Amino acid sequence: MLADLANSWSLVVPLASTVVLALAGVVARRCAAASSAWSVGRSATAVAAFVAVLATVIFIADGAASGAFVRLDALTVLMLGLIALVGWVVVRFSATYLAGDPHEQRYAARMLMTLAAVSLVVVANNLLVLVVAWAAASFALHGLLTFFGDRPVAVAVAHKKFLLARVADACMVGATVLFATSFDTLRIDEIAARAASDPLPTAGRLAIALVAAAALLKCAQLPFHGWLIQVMEAPTPVSALLHAGVVNLGGFVLLRFAPVVDRAVETRTLLVAAGVTTAVVASLVMTTRVSVKVSLAWSTCAQMGFMLMQCGIGLWEMALLHLLAHSLYKAHAFLGAGGTVRRTQRLQLHSRPSPPTLAALVVGTITAVAGTVAVTLAWGALPGTSSLSSAVWVLLVIVALAIVPLVVPKHGRLRAASLVRALAVPVAYLALHEVFAELVPAGPDAPRALLGIVVIAAVGLFVVQSASQLSPHGPVMSRLRPWLYAGLFLDDAFTRLAFAVWPPPLPDERPALLPQPRAVPIVSTMKPSAVRPPEPSVLAASTGSTGREAS
Amino acid sequence: MTSSTTLGSNGAESPSGSEELRRDVAAACDRIAPTWPLDRFIAVNPYWGWRSSDITDAAARLGRLAGTRLTMPRSWFRSEWLAGRLLPHDVADAANACGAPELIDPAFDVLQAFDQPAQPVLRRMALVTDQRDELGIMPVPGQSWTDLVVHQVSQHCASYVDVWQASWAPNTSQGLLSAWRTDPSVTHGVAWRHGRGWARAELDALPSDPIDAISMMLDQLGVAAEGREAYLTALLTSVNGWAAWFAYRRWQARLVGADDDTIVELLAIRCAWEWLLDADADRTLREAWAASWSCFDELVAMGAADQRLDWVLQDALERSFQRSIIDGSPNATPSTAAADVQAVFCIDVRSEVFRRALEATSESLHTRGFAGFFGLPIEYTPAGSALTRPQLPGLLAPSLAVTETDGTLDPRAFAATRGSALAERARWREFRTDPSSMFSYVESLGLLAGVELIENSLPHRDPPVAWERDGLRSTLGQLRPRLAVVDDDPAAAAEIGHRVLRGMGLLDGFAPLVMLCGHGSQSTNNPHAAGLDCGACGGQTGEVNARVLADLLNSAAVRQELGALGVDVPDGTWFVPALHNTTTDQVELFDTADVPESHRDRLGQLVAALHDAGNTARAERSAELGLDACAGDPKRLEQRIRERANDWSQVRPEWGLAGNAAFVIAPRWRTRHLDLDGRCFLHDYDWQADADLSVLTLIMTAPMVVTNWINMQYHASTVDNRRYGSGNKVLHNVVGGNIGVFEGNGGDLRIGLPMQSLHDGHELRHRPLRLSVFVEAPRSSIDSVLDAQPVVHDLVHNGWLHLLRIDAVTGAVERRARDGWLP
Repeated sequence: MLADLANSWSLVVPLASTVVLALAGVVARRCAAASSAWSVGRSATAVAAFVAVLATVIFIADGAASGAFVRLDALTVLMLGLIALVGWVVVRFSATYLAGDPHEQRYAARMLMTLAAVSLVVVANNLLVLVVAWAAASFALHGLLTFFGDRPVAVAVAHKKFLLARVADACMVGATVLFATSFDTLRIDEIAARAASDPLPTAGRLAIALVAAAALLKCAQLPFHGWLIQVMEAPTPVSALLHAGVVNLGGFVLLRFAPVVDRAVETRTLLVAAGVTTAVVASLVMTTRVSVKVSLAWSTCAQMGFMLMQCGIGLWEMALLHLLAHSLYKAHAFLGAGGTVRRTQRLQLHSRPSPPTLAALVVGTITAVAGTVAVTLAWGALPGTSSLSSAVWVLLVIVALAIVPLVVPKHGRLRAASLVRALAVPVAYLALHEVFAELVPAGPDAPRALLGIVVIAAVGLFVVQSASQLSPHGPVMSRLRPWLYAGLFLDDAFTRLAFAVWPPPLPDERPALLPQPRAVPIVSTMKPSAVRPPEPSVLAASTGSTGREAS
Repeated sequence: MTSSTTLGSNGAESPSGSEELRRDVAAACDRIAPTWPLDRFIAVNPYWGWRSSDITDAAARLGRLAGTRLTMPRSWFRSEWLAGRLLPHDVADAANACGAPELIDPAFDVLQAFDQPAQPVLRRMALVTDQRDELGIMPVPGQSWTDLVVHQVSQHCASYVDVWQASWAPNTSQGLLSAWRTDPSVTHGVAWRHGRGWARAELDALPSDPIDAISMMLDQLGVAAEGREAYLTALLTSVNGWAAWFAYRRWQARLVGADDDTIVELLAIRCAWEWLLDADADRTLREAWAASWSCFDELVAMGAADQRLDWVLQDALERSFQRSIIDGSPNATPSTAAADVQAVFCIDVRSEVFRRALEATSESLHTRGFAGFFGLPIEYTPAGSALTRPQLPGLLAPSLAVTETDGTLDPRAFAATRGSALAERARWREFRTDPSSMFSYVESLGLLAGVELIENSLPHRDPPVAWERDGLRSTLGQLRPRLAVVDDDPAAAAEIGHRVLRGMGLLDGFAPLVMLCGHGSQSTNNPHAAGLDCGACGGQTGEVNARVLADLLNSAAVRQELGALGVDVPDGTWFVPALHNTTTDQVELFDTADVPESHRDRLGQLVAALHDAGNTARAERSAELGLDACAGDPKRLEQRIRERANDWSQVRPEWGLAGNAAFVIAPRWRTRHLDLDGRCFLHDYDWQADADLSVLTLIMTAPMVVTNWINMQYHASTVDNRRYGSGNKVLHNVVGGNIGVFEGNGGDLRIGLPMQSLHDGHELRHRPLRLSVFVEAPRSSIDSVLDAQPVVHDLVHNGWLHLLRIDAVTGAVERRARDGWLP
């Protein structure tokens, strides 16, 4: 890293976020007062935000640069900006939200450490640094997921994630070895450049397949998704951070290796198959879920599948857009999850919309498709717009189906204003595509078969969704629903198998956050050998000598 | 439920056995108190089903059935003792009053001992799930059988009752139990020793009628008739959250003369898990276990003996608290200053702080306490919307409909316009959440969330636009909620007004300006926001009620009819509606454009007084909000508190009714000189104007019951947050859009208050004391209400609250014991 330091400021500045956040993490852990820990955290995230701005300025002024360890390009800048924004928001939020918890400092420290590690992942140009930073992010996050370590479910779920993350780490280590031996370098930009120009050796093919496998595991794709759904056992801002800043790193790493992926058809197939399956199943499961956070988690699972699918068909610019937009959307959705009740009240102002008729749905679909095609052709006729690849056309099919609910006639009528607003969606889509295509080059056209799979899946999803609206209690749909509600029991099977090999640790012996008498059978039976202290004393908690710290 | 005379498996059972089982099932279900949905989250006494038992007996029973305590740990009483809040005298008095003088010494031992002997761990009597857990064999590592069963039952119930979260709803036409029997989660979600096919066959053999099913299962489990009520009650309390939800459905059905038996189906489902687990384990443990339920009463008696000392300490602490009012009461002097302004507030404990501050601004400013729904049994529909919500206590059913108008609009056209604006919003919601739309939604519009993230993270001072105005043009003029009856039938309106004024004790001596002040709270991103609003208004703000009543009483036609009823409202009196924001301590006046010119000056003075009172009240509350640093700077304090109310990460926007401990039913002058610290409900009552006791009866059967519900909700959430509280707010996960919360991933539906509403991280903000009700009325009056009203009788004589009497002449206080009045 010293070489980088000597080389150019443009390779030092991006590292500053990691350094500041990590230092802040160390300091926050040692603060005597929680308020000072949070001041440290707020300042550090503010600095990280400044660093992200500075890095952007440098990038715009000097263009991309890369050294042996650090890389500054559009992807780095955007990801640093994302992490800085999410970090700033989430730390500010947590400072108030967690107020009064006996372990705020520990929480703040772990959160800052997670942000530090993620910031390192996104600037790394050395494969080894990337692997270590990615693993570090996972370890730091583990500390947040087990923040309430006395909750058995929290411990078991974090353990489940821990197992999968280590398998993913092993994949990355394997990929590192294979890349190092076949390309003779650990610099990611060199590997990517070499892959773009030369034919990909077998070891390289295997390596990129391992990277994709790691991405699938860390992006919680079926059937390894259970942990993502169940980590609601951690405070809300941890979920926001996880869903906005950590789970999507699989997509980021693939973006780094985009030219290699483009050359490896088996990896592309793997990404499309796993991504599409997860997107379809998880999005349908989401519509059956009854609690807001679990519903959001299934949505993330599906969105990650969609993003990985886009990686598979070489739509890198859209994968990046998806990654960024989803992060912001999901961070906001999680942090605002408490507003669900108010939103439901707002919904109640309007009588519950009756399901559409088949005829209305058909008319709506035709309108949406025709409208999207018209908008796209008009867009293409504009001067200065680039021509659209077949993969983009596939996505436009998905957009057309997406805007159907906006244009389905209600009571036989569709207002012109509704149609105009609906068609703003493909316009926004095409414009964003134009912008992001400037930032990240698209890959070569994907094999027809892969595009075919995506189209079939998209249409299939639309048909199942429509059927569930038209006849939710018909013979097929009413049988399908309980299975979807149970997530097809995929996680049950995986958990049983995984825990049989490596059972989770027992929950910590910690008194509750508040001095509440605990319901005895539920707790004591978790650990027949050790009897909990009967009722944790108020005095102990009020004088600050809490058992959680001691244990 | 369909009544059935033939019983499932055991044809030998006599019809009387079936009747007996029905009684046991009904008794078990009656033990469960309802819980209201989050958008009308009123306080409920979770022990309501036990009110006909003595509180100590109920506690002993609940200890065995649910493993819960109704009192704090003894170490907590010791800390109260050390803090000087528990006085030596009161310990002896309490022990004697509890008929246990022999416990005086043990009580002092507890309070003075350095080393607390560990209190015995309270365990519920084992259910089959507990037995399985005790064997140490978990269904999955990290999850007990108890947790698995609760989770499965909970997920099933949530899916069945959800309306607003999942867009793909299950078929609910077949009933909760039938849906459960075909749920693949039962067969596939558990590794049955005998296999899935076996579980399927067992479920298929289960009678579809819940009572028949319960009867068959209890026979096979071997629980004898004398243990059944206890066993069934224990089963229901093991899924207390959902039991409370279905108790709510039953409560709502019964308010309108119908019924709902889903709670029985829930009981059958929970019982079926026991039955399946027992059968899957080949019934190895059954005999001794089943027999233990027949000894329930003996086990309860043992538990009760252990807990007597706890009740002495509890009673002693309450006596120590009562002293400030008992000692202050005789020193009161009736106020002589004529009233320039009469301000009627809700009885809510938060009003006390503000009223004290407001009264301090002027001698001629009088305040009164009355239930915040102002006695109007109304339901409210925002103009042109599909929403109708009750604006009255949960004990009652609404009988009058209120909607809004600006006097000119055509309701049908208005509803159509608003409806299409709302429909457009619904479309975009679908676009955001439909499976085949959500991906494109994220890519086209997701980036905009970044702007919202930043905006929400920055401080804001102005309150948000009321959500009830969604889909209305901002140019639309002021809409006003009105009762149609005011114009249609002034005589009927006058009767409503007369009843309300009589309840308020305001039949003469009207001041020129009468402010009717409801209250509401302001918090953001808070699932339990409605719990901070006015409970008497059904968990809403009191704005609608105050405005409707003021409108009614200002109507010339109604005043004329009131005159015919003997109430002469002078022409110089004007009623002005207002809303006290309990989070920011600001008071907003409504419909001031109508205030006659003659009253403008007075109104201006009132506004100034309200502003000053707000500063005083905020300063008083600043310490508990952690803002004592700003206490000396009213402007800055106000800004900080207003920012706090808009802060989406704030889990303690205000302290609500934490600390509530007393209810004073007396003229205001009786307590006007006392600083009651925001811990007292205050209801004005003049016994001399209530010859037929109708007002006292109303107060003791309605507001007093409501205050008991509030007091016991805080009590239960504090002493056993795990079972009767909703746990840690940072883990809350809203279920079904408005039904309730899970703490974290799943588990039972959580009822009651979150820990953050009770505890500031360092100490408890609510000290669980049973309500002390002080009534200024003659003995005979109180006694006759006690005799005539069984609910009041139960609450007082079974120790669910303390009843004390203030002597109207001397101000001396005496307390009501089971066998009479004691000094």
